Amino acid sequence: MNLVADKLSYKPDEQFHLNEVSFNFKKGNLYTILGRTLSGKTTLLKTIAGLLTPDSGSIQFEDKDFLKIPVWERNVAMVYQQFINYPHLNVFENVAFPLKQRKVENQEIKDVVLKSLKSVGLEGYENRKIQELSGGQQQRVSLARSLVKNAKILLLDEPLVNLDYKLREQLREEFKSIFSQGLSEESIVIFSTTDPKEAMELNGEVIAIDEGKVLQVGPAKEIFENPKTLKVAEISNDPPMNILKANISSNKIKFEGIEIELPGHLSNLKDNNFNLGIRASDIELSEEGFEFEVELAEISGSETLLHLIRGDTKIITSIEEVMNFNIKDKIKINFNINKVYAFNESGTLASSPFGGSYV
Amino acid sequence: MSKIDLNNISHSYNPNDPNPIYALNPFSMTWENGKRYAILGPSGCGKTTMLNIVSGLVRPSAGNILFDDKDVTDLKTESRNIAQVFQFPVIYNTMTVYENLAFPLKCRDFLKDKIDERVKSVADILNLQSFLNSPARKLTADQKQLISLGRGLVREDVAAVLMDEPLTVIDPDLKFRLRRKLKEINEEFKTTLVYVTHDQNEAMTFADNIIVMSEGEVVQAGTPKELFERPNTTFVGYFIGSPAMNLFETEASSNDSVKINNTIIKTNTNLSNLKDKKIKLGIRSEFIKIAKNQSENLLNVDVEKVEDLGNYKLLTAKMGSLTIKSKINRETEIPSSDVKLYIPAEKCCVYEEEKLI
Amino acid sequence: MGKLYKFLKYSFITIWTVFVVAPFLWALTTSFKDFNSVNGGATYIPWVDFEPKLEGWKVLIKSPANGGVDIIEPYFNSLFVTCTASLISIVLGTLSAYALSRFTFKAGFVKNNDITFFFISQRIMPPIVLSIPFFLFLGAIDLLDSLIGLIVVYIVLLMPIAVWIMVDFFNKVPREIDETALIDGCNPYQAFFKVVLPNSIPGLIVAGMFCIIFGWIDFFFAFILTFTEVQLLPVKIVALNSSITPWWSLSASALVSVAPLIVVAFIVERYLSKGNLSGAIK
Repeated sequence: MNLVADKLSYKPDEQFHLNEVSFNFKKGNLYTILGRTLSGKTTLLKTIAGLLTPDSGSIQFEDKDFLKIPVWERNVAMVYQQFINYPHLNVFENVAFPLKQRKVENQEIKDVVLKSLKSVGLEGYENRKIQELSGGQQQRVSLARSLVKNAKILLLDEPLVNLDYKLREQLREEFKSIFSQGLSEESIVIFSTTDPKEAMELNGEVIAIDEGKVLQVGPAKEIFENPKTLKVAEISNDPPMNILKANISSNKIKFEGIEIELPGHLSNLKDNNFNLGIRASDIELSEEGFEFEVELAEISGSETLLHLIRGDTKIITSIEEVMNFNIKDKIKINFNINKVYAFNESGTLASSPFGGSYV
Repeated sequence: MSKIDLNNISHSYNPNDPNPIYALNPFSMTWENGKRYAILGPSGCGKTTMLNIVSGLVRPSAGNILFDDKDVTDLKTESRNIAQVFQFPVIYNTMTVYENLAFPLKCRDFLKDKIDERVKSVADILNLQSFLNSPARKLTADQKQLISLGRGLVREDVAAVLMDEPLTVIDPDLKFRLRRKLKEINEEFKTTLVYVTHDQNEAMTFADNIIVMSEGEVVQAGTPKELFERPNTTFVGYFIGSPAMNLFETEASSNDSVKINNTIIKTNTNLSNLKDKKIKLGIRSEFIKIAKNQSENLLNVDVEKVEDLGNYKLLTAKMGSLTIKSKINRETEIPSSDVKLYIPAEKCCVYEEEKLI
Repeated sequence: MGKLYKFLKYSFITIWTVFVVAPFLWALTTSFKDFNSVNGGATYIPWVDFEPKLEGWKVLIKSPANGGVDIIEPYFNSLFVTCTASLISIVLGTLSAYALSRFTFKAGFVKNNDITFFFISQRIMPPIVLSIPFFLFLGAIDLLDSLIGLIVVYIVLLMPIAVWIMVDFFNKVPREIDETALIDGCNPYQAFFKVVLPNSIPGLIVAGMFCIIFGWIDFFFAFILTFTEVQLLPVKIVALNSSITPWWSLSASALVSVAPLIVVAFIVERYLSKGNLSGAIK
C-alpha cells in the first residue's frame, strides 16, 4: 500500500539527475526532500508525478506499477516553485479545474472550491484574475487547486522559495496548520526544500539528497544531530556547518595556530587529521577567544551572520541579534567545543556530540 | 562623491489641489558622503519615486535637492553626475569588458592614458583584470552587473551610485560575492551608494542606514540595529526581523509600567500622559527569556508548542488570548509546568496609535 | 528646447498623417464623382465642390454586358481562397508549432530549431523562384486555374508564417502549465485544447492577421496560376486599370479591395488595446 521506489536512475546527460534512488513512503506521513539546487529534488518529484520516465528502476503504489500509469490517471497533485496557474481562468475556475476534469457535479464543485479557498485564506477572491494577485496569493491558488483533488500523493516543489521572507514565514505557518488538520491518513505529502530550517520546522521524515543520490534518511532531528557525512552536515545547516581541517594529537585539537583541549565526546578518537564540523550558532563572540577578521556581516531575519577568516580558514558564526560590523574588523570568538563534530578525512561522521558515529 | 540633502521633498500628481494626494509624503533627509543607504519597502511604497527624484528622472512637486549644497532640483539626470545600476545588467554586448568600462570616459573625450589608468584601477577592485579583453557578453550575471557598476565608478566625479534592486537576477550563491564587493567598493572609493530593495535581509546586510518606507511615507531611518531594537512603528516591528516583533494590546498602569492580563510589566518609557489610552507593548522574541531568578516583569504562560529549528528553539506560548513567541537557546530546558517568561524592561517598546513613544 | 521639440514632433506627425490619408481621401472623393466633376479640376468637398454620384459604385456590380465591370465574383473568390487557406494554415501551423515547442525532434544534426527555420526559409526565397515549380506542380495535379489549386499554394505560403509566430508564443507559455494540466487529469490533447490554446489566443490572432493580409494582397501567384476560369481580386483590379474603366470606378474598386484589411486592422487594434496581448502570460 506504500509508495515504494526501487533504484530509480535518470541520466539525460553526463550527470546523474537520479542515481539509484530507493524509498518507501507510508500513507499519512510527511516527507521532506532536502538538498541544494540541482540536487535532483525536482526530478524526483516529477518522476513520482509521471512527468518524467526514469531510465531504470521501478515505482510501486498501492501494489500497482506506477510507471505504467500515465500522469493524468495517477491522482497526484503538485505545487511548483514558480507560481503556476492557468492565466486564462479566474481564481475560482483555476481551483475548480481538476474537479471539472473529473466531471464532478457543479454544486459540489462550488462547495469544495469555496472551502478550499477559505482554507488558504483567499475567501472573496473567487472572481479575481490570476494576474491581479500577488505572488503569495498566486501560490495560494496553486495550493488550493492541489488540495481540492484530495490526491493520494501531494508533491510540493520548494513552494515557498520564490516568496520574500516575511511572506514565506507566514505561508509556512499556514502550510503547517493545513498539514496538521487537513491531511487524511490516506495521503502522502512530499515537500522539497533547500532550507534546513524549513525541514526542521515541518518536522517530517527527511531525505537528504545530493547529485541525485540519497545520502541519509531519518527524522529531521536525527539528520540535524547526527549527519552521516560532511555533505549531509553541509546541506542540513544554514549557514552550512563550518568545516575546519584540524589535527588531533595528544588530547589537543590543532588548526591555524589554535590549540584547544579535546572535549570528552571526542576523546576516543585516534590521533589523526580530521574534518571538524561546528555550527555557526555554536561559535560565540568572546573577549578571551581567538582573533579572526570580518569578511562580511550579513543580516538574515533577526540573525547576524559573520563571515570570518583566519589564515586559510573561513568560518561563519551566527548571532541571534542585529549587530553592526565593518569589513576587516578584528574580532575574537570562542568555539563551543562540546558541540564539535568529527568527520574522518573521507568525510564520514566519526563522532558527534549527540553520540552518533558511522565509522 | 557628494553629500546629498533632500529638503522638504514631496511628490504629488495634483500639487495645486488643497488636499494633494502624495505619491511621496513630505520629508527631509541628509545622506552623508561615502555612506551606504538602503531604501526599503514593499512594492508601491514610493521607494522608486524617491530614487527617481534623486536621479532626476522625476522632478519633485515641492522641496529641493542639493548635491554638496548646490541645488540640482531642476537639473536633468545627465547633468547630475549620477551613476545608475538597474535590475538587469546593462552592458554593451558587442564590446569587450575594457571597452565597456572605458565607454563613459570615451564619450566625454578623456585622454587615452587617463582612460587606461581609470579602467585598470576600477577593473582591479572589481576583480575583472583577467577579463578585460574578453567580450562582455561571455561573463556571468554577477560579473555583468559589476561592469554596469564599474561604468559608474570610472568617472571620478560621480556624486552617488544609485542601485535599483541590483541583485534580483543574480544567483543566490553569487549574491554573497557581490554584496561583499559592494561594501568593499564603498570603503575603498568612498562612494555614496544608494540601494533600493524590497528584501529586508539585503537592506540590513548592505546598508549603514536604512530608510523604511510604507505607503509613500518615510516611516523610519536608522541603522539596522536601531530598526531591529527600537522600531518606530508597529509596521517596522513586523517588517524587520523574523519572527515579527511580539505586540500586545495593553494599557498604562503607572508612570512607567503597563498591565497585561493583570500582570504588571515595567518599561523604561515614560507613560504618564497615556493613562486610559490604548497602547501596545512591543518586544522582540530574541529578548524574551525563560525566567531564572528574576522577580519582576514575569509573565505566567502556558506553553503551546516548542519547535526545534536547529540553531535555536522557537517557543510559542499562550497567556489567555495572547500569543507570545520567544527564541530560546537549543540547550535551555523548558520546565514542564509553571513557565514564566522574563520581559526585560530596557527592551520594551511602547506604541500609541502604532507609533513609538 | 521643450517647445521646439514638441512643435517639430507634432508637425512631423501631421505631415505624415496627411501623407498617408490623402490618397484615401482622393480615392474616396473620386469614387463619387462623374466625368464632369473629375474634369472640373481639383475638388474635394462633396455637395460644395461637386455633386456626388453613385455611378462609379454601380458599375462595380453590373455585368459587363450592361457596361459594368463585375468585381463581385473575383471578390468572393479572393475572400474564399484567403479565408480557407488562412484557416487551414492556422490549424496546421498551430499544431506543428506546438509539437516543435514541446517535443524534441532529432534527425541527425537536424533539431527543432532547424525545423522551425526550414519552415520560414521558404519565405526567404523570392516568389519568382517558387513560381515555376508551383506552376509545374499544379499542372501535374491538374489544379491550374482553379480555386483549390490557389488554396494549396497559399497554404504552402502562409503556414510558415503561422508556425513561426506560434512557436514563439508557445515557447513563452511555461511548460509547467501543460504539466499542471496533465497532473490535473487532462490527457495531452485536452491539455493543449483546454489550457495551452486558450492562453495563446493573442498569438492566434496575430498569426491569423498576417495570414489574411498576405493571402489577400498576393498578386503574383494569383496572376501566374490562373488564366480564364478563376480570377482573384488583385488580378481583376490590375486588369481594370489597363482597360478603359473610368477613374471613379477604379477608385471605388480600390476602396472595396482594402475594406477587409481595414476591418481586420480595427479588430486587431481593439484586441491589442485591451492589453490582452501582453498581459495574458506573465
